[in-house]
Amino acid sequence: MIARRMRRCLIVVALVSMLALTASGQIPLAEFEQALHSIPVSNPEFILSSIEWGMTQPDFPALELLRLIDRLAGHPAPSFEKEALLLVLAHASGDGLPIEGLVSKALEGLARNVSPQAIEQGLSVRMNLLAETRDLLYSKGIFSAPAGSPQTVAATIPMERFNQLLIHISEPIGDFLEGGGSPFDGHVLYQEVRNRLTQLQGVTLLPEDVELVLDRIEPSDLTQVALAAVS
Amino acid sequence: MTHDELDVLLQDTLKAEVAASADRLIDLEARIIEELGERRPRLRWDQWLRQLIAPTSGARLGQVAVIGATAAIFLFIGLSLSDRTLPGSSLDRAFSESDTPQVALMPLGSADHTQGVVFVWPAPPDAKAVAVVGDFNGWEGTDLSDADGDGIWTASIPLAPGRYEYAFIVDGQWKGQDPLADEYIQSFGAFSSVRYIGRGGDGA
Repeated sequence: MIARRMRRCLIVVALVSMLALTASGQIPLAEFEQALHSIPVSNPEFILSSIEWGMTQPDFPALELLRLIDRLAGHPAPSFEKEALLLVLAHASGDGLPIEGLVSKALEGLARNVSPQAIEQGLSVRMNLLAETRDLLYSKGIFSAPAGSPQTVAATIPMERFNQLLIHISEPIGDFLEGGGSPFDGHVLYQEVRNRLTQLQGVTLLPEDVELVLDRIEPSDLTQVALAAVS
Repeated sequence: MTHDELDVLLQDTLKAEVAASADRLIDLEARIIEELGERRPRLRWDQWLRQLIAPTSGARLGQVAVIGATAAIFLFIGLSLSDRTLPGSSLDRAFSESDTPQVALMPLGSADHTQGVVFVWPAPPDAKAVAVVGDFNGWEGTDLSDADGDGIWTASIPLAPGRYEYAFIVDGQWKGQDPLADEYIQSFGAFSSVRYIGRGGDGA
């Protein structure tokens, strides 16, 4: 009798969990585990734990990441190359960096028939750029805050907005470097970043965030970011 | 017979005539009134307007409200589309500044803050398949179609305001440089096009 009731309770809990996951738009971790198993990767635990943590963050691209893992599973490259690519994303996610741009870049690379190894090299530079850009903003007194927390510092920006700034400062630098630009062209880098931010000002970026960043960063700061990322 | 006697005689005669025709006149009047009730008189525009806005009838005020709301909707649609179709829009520039326009992005506003971005590709007559790939579709091709066979391949994709990277694939060949793009970037040794959709970019 008790066992039957417990079984019923478990079924109800499972159904409620599935409904909750569906309602929240999240993908069950088991799907990632299954996809990773089909590559296969030697250290799925680390990748899974970073995905699990990432899914608690705003704007985590779970669907796109699963799509990437599925495409890697069907790619003829050696599995260690594919795992190296995923490890870059896992490190970035574990470090609290926004990975939506990195995942999109990886999907583009695969669509262009670029090898996972070459994609991983490009992603590593872009991940470094994200981290260096975050350090730059911190050094300029611009910080992120978890959603809902009180903004105790004047230049504290909610995490989603902060991450958008990170993406749209680091990406133009990455594009410039990938196009053959030199890190020493600080003024060109600044112009590229400025163009990107002002194009999105009032669209996906708040005007005050853009003004805050452009007010505090200088061309020489971006040269340092670029140099640190490629070195 | 004096003049007075003649007047009296005439009046009596007329009264007798009127009395004799009274029933016929009443009948005629009733028919005219009935017919006027069935046929609404054709009014001039100012008469029609005056009748329409007469504050005595609740129904007419309702008519005014309906017409006003309809006018407001059309005005809103007109204003929304005006900045997308006036000279200077991306589509106009496509066909004025370039002899071989490849892509036109034409946002069509909608209530869910997404815009139907129309991708256009004039392909050679022997082209078999045209697709657009970008960060908005996970770099998986969205097919363009050429239903009328005029060589202009099109697809409409709803996109929220923001920045989008994309390229075209024509029979397996990547075409990364769209003359209408806001910018180009080098990606994995090849070009991709970039468009900004929304207030800050030309796609607005």
